[in-house]
Amino acid sequence: MNRLVTVAEMTLRELLRRRGVLLLLLLMPLTFYLIRRDAYLGQSVRSLLLGVGWAVSTAALFATTAARELEPRLRLAGYRPHHLYLGRMLGLWMVGLVISVPFFLLPMVDGANLRYGGLAAALLCSVGVAAPFGMLIGALLPRELEGTLLLLTVVTVQMLIDPAGSGAKLTPFWSTREIATWAVDHTDQGYLARGVLHGLAVTALLALGVAAVANVRLRRRRHLRHLPVG
Amino acid sequence: MNVDDWLRTLAAELHQRRVAADAARHVVAEAATHLREGGGDPWVVFGPPQQYAGAIVESIGTAPGPRPGPVRLHARGITKRYGRRTVLHDATLTVRAGQIAAVIGANGCGKSTFLRICAGLISPDAGDVTVSGQLGYCPQSGGTADFLLVDEHFVLVGAGQGVARGPARRAGRAAARQLGWEAGGDEQARHLSGGTRQKLNLTMSTLSQPDVLLLDEPYQGFDQGTYVNFWDQLGRLRDAGTAIVVVTHLLNQLDRVDTVLDLTPAQQTGRRAPGVQGGHP
Repeated sequence: MNRLVTVAEMTLRELLRRRGVLLLLLLMPLTFYLIRRDAYLGQSVRSLLLGVGWAVSTAALFATTAARELEPRLRLAGYRPHHLYLGRMLGLWMVGLVISVPFFLLPMVDGANLRYGGLAAALLCSVGVAAPFGMLIGALLPRELEGTLLLLTVVTVQMLIDPAGSGAKLTPFWSTREIATWAVDHTDQGYLARGVLHGLAVTALLALGVAAVANVRLRRRRHLRHLPVG
Repeated sequence: MNVDDWLRTLAAELHQRRVAADAARHVVAEAATHLREGGGDPWVVFGPPQQYAGAIVESIGTAPGPRPGPVRLHARGITKRYGRRTVLHDATLTVRAGQIAAVIGANGCGKSTFLRICAGLISPDAGDVTVSGQLGYCPQSGGTADFLLVDEHFVLVGAGQGVARGPARRAGRAAARQLGWEAGGDEQARHLSGGTRQKLNLTMSTLSQPDVLLLDEPYQGFDQGTYVNFWDQLGRLRDAGTAIVVVTHLLNQLDRVDTVLDLTPAQQTGRRAPGVQGGHP
């Protein structure tokens, strides 16, 4: 447990020291919100949530890439793969929650008539999905540029795809959109239930994907045999 | 050669001639005091450092060389191919507790690959490695986190071994001191110079008190004094029973090691260094 917490803490410390990155993380959802502010508020809030998801995914992608060289030596120092990926995920979730707070308050200050519980759930969902999503891309694509381009593609698809179409359910942040619709348009509970279920399932699937890649990359190799000191 | 250089050379010579570390420190400190108080050129006062070190050895003798212990690392028949190119062919190395092995060879001959295979970071196409005890690995570069403080690196590595924060910090600083570096403070790794960053890298690899220590050219960016401290530190670890494998291209240090694995292709050199047990087609 101590190892897990230490990795989470160090991830948090690293990200909080990147002040420029933090500023951009806050700027991205804010821009998304403001750019749609003149139009229908629901669209503005959905954009805000997508911005939070994108920002946290990007942070997760870069944190994973940056840790690539460090992790093998931590593995030799006594960490198991799950300490490393779960600890990092935990740290990223914490960062996501920290940056979500102002975006929970923003529509409130703006006087929006929302179900604020729904907004909180949508933010949680967005952060919950984004951390393992960015980590998985970072784990699969070792170079940051490729990872960023893939992330950009997925988020663009997410923005442009028809949310009512069946293909939309395959996009990672569909859950956020459903919960946001419940929160903004005061629709029936089905939106909330579908959204929460989708969010939980996608987060679990992505986390399993991260675990699988990490376990392969940081596995004990068969050619190496460890004997106790004799 | 100024006084400091002369003293450093003397220290290195004493170490090389296996004078006990405490006695060597004492001799160097006495010579420094004598030169500071009496003045004069050390070459005139004491003569060449090699000659003076020889006289010291005759006078006080050397520390008995530790007998090599049990086998700690045995890499057998390591072969690695990247596509059609065979980088390593049937490389074999055995290192016992209390021994230093050097892996040498031209650029691109597979030194780092061999070490990464020994550390279990990549798989070979053939061969196996047996390690007894805890393994430590210091990469050629990288392996640190830019935005973490030096102390946080020690805490991170220490936690892997279940060491609490305070003791991990103290152990890291003590290990850094062996390299002549006063670690700590609130400096992030990205603000360290290249050489100091490598000291951090090296310190992290020794922090878990490994039985087998794998070092991939860890002295990049070291100044002369740190370089001497580095080999002194290796000597201390060897005397404490650690089996050390160091990748190096500095052949002038080979007299400090117990065994050599030369991975240079045979047709390129036409010779094999002593101690070579195979390594390249």
